[in-house]
This record gives sequence, structure tokens and C-alpha cells, in this order.
Amino acid sequence: MIGSFVFGEALALGLSSGPACMASCGPVVVPSLLAEQSGMRPSARYLSTFLGARFLGYLLFAAVAWELGVLLALPPAPRLLMMGIVHVLLGGVLLWYAYSVGRAHAPSRPGSELVTIGVAKKRGISGPAALGFLTGLSLCPPFVIAGVRAAQLHSVAAAVVFFAVFFVGTSVWFVPLVGLGRLRRSEAVTTVARMAMVLIAVYYLLLGSAMLMGRNLYGY
Amino acid sequence: MATEARILPPRVIAPRTIGRSVLLTLPIALWSLLIFSNSFRQPSRSVQIAGLLTAVFMMALFFMMMRTWSTYRWRRWFFVALGILFPVGFIHTVMVMRGTMGIPMEEMIAGRTPFCFMPIPLLILPAALTRTVVFPGSILPGAGMSGGGIAAMFGLWLAITLVVGKGWCSYACFFGGIEEGVASVPKLAKLRKIDPRWRYGPWAVLLAMVLLSLALFEPAYCMWLCPFKAVSEYVAARNTLGLIQNGIFIALFAGLVIVLPWLTKKRTQCAFFCPFGAFQSIFNKTSVFEVKIDRTRCSPCVLCQNACPTMSLTEESIAQGNTLMSCMKCGACVDVCPKHAAVWHIKGTEVAVKPERARLMLLYAAWAMAVMFGGTIIAQGLATLLHVFI
Repeated sequence: MIGSFVFGEALALGLSSGPACMASCGPVVVPSLLAEQSGMRPSARYLSTFLGARFLGYLLFAAVAWELGVLLALPPAPRLLMMGIVHVLLGGVLLWYAYSVGRAHAPSRPGSELVTIGVAKKRGISGPAALGFLTGLSLCPPFVIAGVRAAQLHSVAAAVVFFAVFFVGTSVWFVPLVGLGRLRRSEAVTTVARMAMVLIAVYYLLLGSAMLMGRNLYGY
Repeated sequence: MATEARILPPRVIAPRTIGRSVLLTLPIALWSLLIFSNSFRQPSRSVQIAGLLTAVFMMALFFMMMRTWSTYRWRRWFFVALGILFPVGFIHTVMVMRGTMGIPMEEMIAGRTPFCFMPIPLLILPAALTRTVVFPGSILPGAGMSGGGIAAMFGLWLAITLVVGKGWCSYACFFGGIEEGVASVPKLAKLRKIDPRWRYGPWAVLLAMVLLSLALFEPAYCMWLCPFKAVSEYVAARNTLGLIQNGIFIALFAGLVIVLPWLTKKRTQCAFFCPFGAFQSIFNKTSVFEVKIDRTRCSPCVLCQNACPTMSLTEESIAQGNTLMSCMKCGACVDVCPKHAAVWHIKGTEVAVKPERARLMLLYAAWAMAVMFGGTIIAQGLATLLHVFI
């Protein structure tokens, strides 16, 4: 009874903070999704890959943090270090993604494939998966709220399930983004998406570098 | 032959008569006197003289537009004056009220930051989702150093925009004048080959800034990328972050507003960077005024394409008889076309039939707005100069 109440709370928390999650992930999701092929199916595939990887990031962070006993209050120094690393990686992946889109849109490539980042196709990593995983590790405000609540649970399994249910709640808000697949892709749309990715990447790199140097910028 | 005579603007034959030009200028003259009548009642001599000079300046330019049938070169005088005198008046006000060009954090928290139109597209999503204006200014009239607050600026922008569309960027924006002035200095462009994909730049900046503003809950463009912070008000650099921000502002201003316009003779900041310009392009769909290319007259010599300061004409668009949606209605293409194939047009009417009537209708709307909005800014800057030097 208490368990179902707690997980109902996780779902409600996820649903209510979903817009904040979407706003937080928007700079990563929207341009990279626009850089993919048009069509509802590729968009749905992108989002399911992104969200799946984000889910993994969530669970990994929840499990590690709970085991280390720092889920409730991650000390400022490691938090800044972790955030710095995540932001630098996000910036790097976004830059690589923007570069890879040009190669990925070559005529020889099947239209339904997602953009991979990496030197060769077989060794390449799925771009949406890399971005999803990194955003899953990012300490956005709703994530911290869920973390505080999950830390009060009695076991790591319960904390992980709490995060899983919370994730389902937030993910509902990402579903409308599938609609971006209906936007007809042209050179203009792809170029705008790639340029925007570069700008956002530079911002994340700047933010991440500042954090790694121990500078806590406002808003974080 | 009869049709050709009807279509051909008479400026190829002779200037418009002085009497007729005066008559056509009369509504703008009355409007200018009305707008600046308040200056004449001020106790300060500088304000009185500045108001008078600005009124005469705006009337004279409009008169020359009527007399010569030409738009671009006279509009450019106004626009460059606006671009130069805006920082003069603004910086003076900031220095008097605050003692520094830097915005301290406590001023932002208190919501006393002057509002400009640039962050309007960045505020829409946060306002729609959370009913929060993510700008450190008040929506109440009288708030902020602009005196009008966010609501007044938003209302003014909306009214003007619905009528002239992206014409805002040629008749109202107080930022574009500096680069237009710089671009007009060299006789020939030193950098002529520009990758047309740079035209997508403003849309990319808009997308990135809208998303970051929503994620960070702050007007990201004002915080990080506005080149005009370099000549208006910068972030009070009390830490490393402030230094980085100001470094970005200065580098962008130097590159996009000074160096590149000089090399390319284009308005590079407007054409390749400004997110507000991209947003404003959407309103070219609501405006009834546009520029069309009359395919029956076009050679094509691409003179219009080369003259366009924002690369809003391509061979494909000329072939289709249109400009791109980024057209700012500055009139450069219309004035330069030797065949009078580039014409002003009102949507829903036949192309190239009475284009001068379309030009007049646009100019009355745009110039009335220019007098009210830009003219008062010019007068303020002029009054500052007069006050300081005389």
C-alpha cells in the first residue's frame, strides 16, 4: 500500500515536472532531432533511443548515488566536478553530432538510420543514445527533487524503481516532439539545426569548463 | 506601348515637381511637428534645437524620397543617424542615472533593466508555459530606464510589425544603422564570395537562444551574444563570467558590425546573425507590403542581387519573381534596377501596376513610425551632443 503510494507519488512528480525536464533537455533534443531525417517513424525511433539512454543514465546515477549515500545531498565540489564533466561531454558530443550530420545525410545512406557519431559506421555510437545518456546524468532541478525523495527510500532497488516511475512520468512530455518529424527536411532545416547545435555546444563547453575550474556560475 | 507608359515610373524622365513633392510630404511634416511639439515646449535649449533639427531632418528626407522617386539612399541617412545617435543618448542616460555603463546584478534583481525589442522571441515560450517574463524588467508602465517598460515596448513593436513586417529592420531598429553606415563607406566589396548558407545563421541563433532561454530561464541572447551590448550597456564585470560575456560582446560587435560590413558591403549582423531579424521575417507574411520582381522586364542582370544588403535575393527567387522572406524592404533593389523590374507591391494586387502607389503607402506607414520611434531617439542623442558640446 505504502509502496504503491510512493510510486504514485513518483509518477505524479514526473508528470508535474515534465515540462521543466523538457525545457532542460530542449537545447539538446530539438536541434539534434531536426537534424535527423523527416518522418514520424525516424522521429519516434530517435526519441525512443534518446529516452532509453536517458533512462539508463537516470538509473545508473540513482544506483551509484544511493550506494554512496550521497543522493540526498551531493557535496558541492563533486557535484560541480560531475556537472562540469557532463557539460563538457555534452558539448563535445553535440559538436561531433553536428559534424556527423553532414556525413550522415549523404545520398548513399538509408533514410531511416539515425545519425551515428564516430569514425566508422560499425564503430560509431548512436548519436541520440549518447545525448540521452548524458542528459540522464545531468542534474536538472526535477532530477534533484526526485533524488531527494528517492534517497529517503529503504533500499537501492526501491530508489531505482522510484526513478524509473519518475522517468515514465517525465517522458510523456517528450511524446509531442515526435511531431517534429512532420517538418519537411531541407538544406535550410538541416543547416539551421547543425548551426544551432554548434552554438549550444559552445555554451555547454564554456559552462562545463568554468565548472571544472571551480567556478560556480549562476543558475547552477 | 500604352501599358508600358503606365507602368514605367516617371523618375526616368524627371524628378517629381517641387509642388507635388511638398504636397506629398505634408502629412509627414504635420506628423513630425506633432511628435516634436513637446520638445519645443521644453525649457532646455538643447532639447528644443534637437527637436527642431530632427523634425526638419525627417521632413527633408521624406521630401527627397518624393522628389527623386528613390527610397534607399534617403532612408539610409535616417538609419545611420539612428544607429549612431542611439548609443549617444542611451549611454548618457545610463551614466546620469547609474554612473556606469555596466549593469550591476542588484539593478537586474530590482527589475530596472531597460527593455529592448531583441529578447521578445526569447520571452514567448517561458511566458506561455509559466506566465513568467524571463527578463529583469517590469511589465508596468514607467518601469525601467526606458520609461515605457516591457508592455509598452511590446505593444509598439506589435503594432508596427503587423503593418510593415520585416520593414522594422529598416525603419525602426536602432542597432542596424551602424553596420549600414560602415557598409556604405568602401566603394567596392573586398569579400564577394559568401557561402549562401550563412543566411540560415539568424534562424540557428534564434533556435539556440529560444531553447537556451527556456532551459536557463533567462534571456540567453542578452546574456551571451548581443553585439550591441558593446555600445549600450554591458554586464558589470565583477567576476570571470562578466569578463567572458563582455569579451564576447566586443568581439561580436567588432566582427559583425565593423569588420565584415566593411569587407562585404552587407549588413552582416542583420543578415547572418540577428535572431530578432529571423523572428521578424515571419511577419513578412502578415504585412501587405512586399517587393516583387516583374519577370516581363527582368534581364536578369543580378544588380539587385548584388545591391541587397541582406542577400535576400537569389537567382531562383528572381526567377520566381520574389524576394526571400528575409527581405527588409529597404528599397536598395528597387532603386538600383535599371529596367524597373524590382517593384514595390501590395499583396492581392497585380504586380508592377502602379508600384509608386504601393511605395507611397509603405512609406507613409513606415516613415510615420520612423518619426515617432527613431526620430525621438535621434532627437535625444542630438540633444545630448548639443548639451555636452554647446
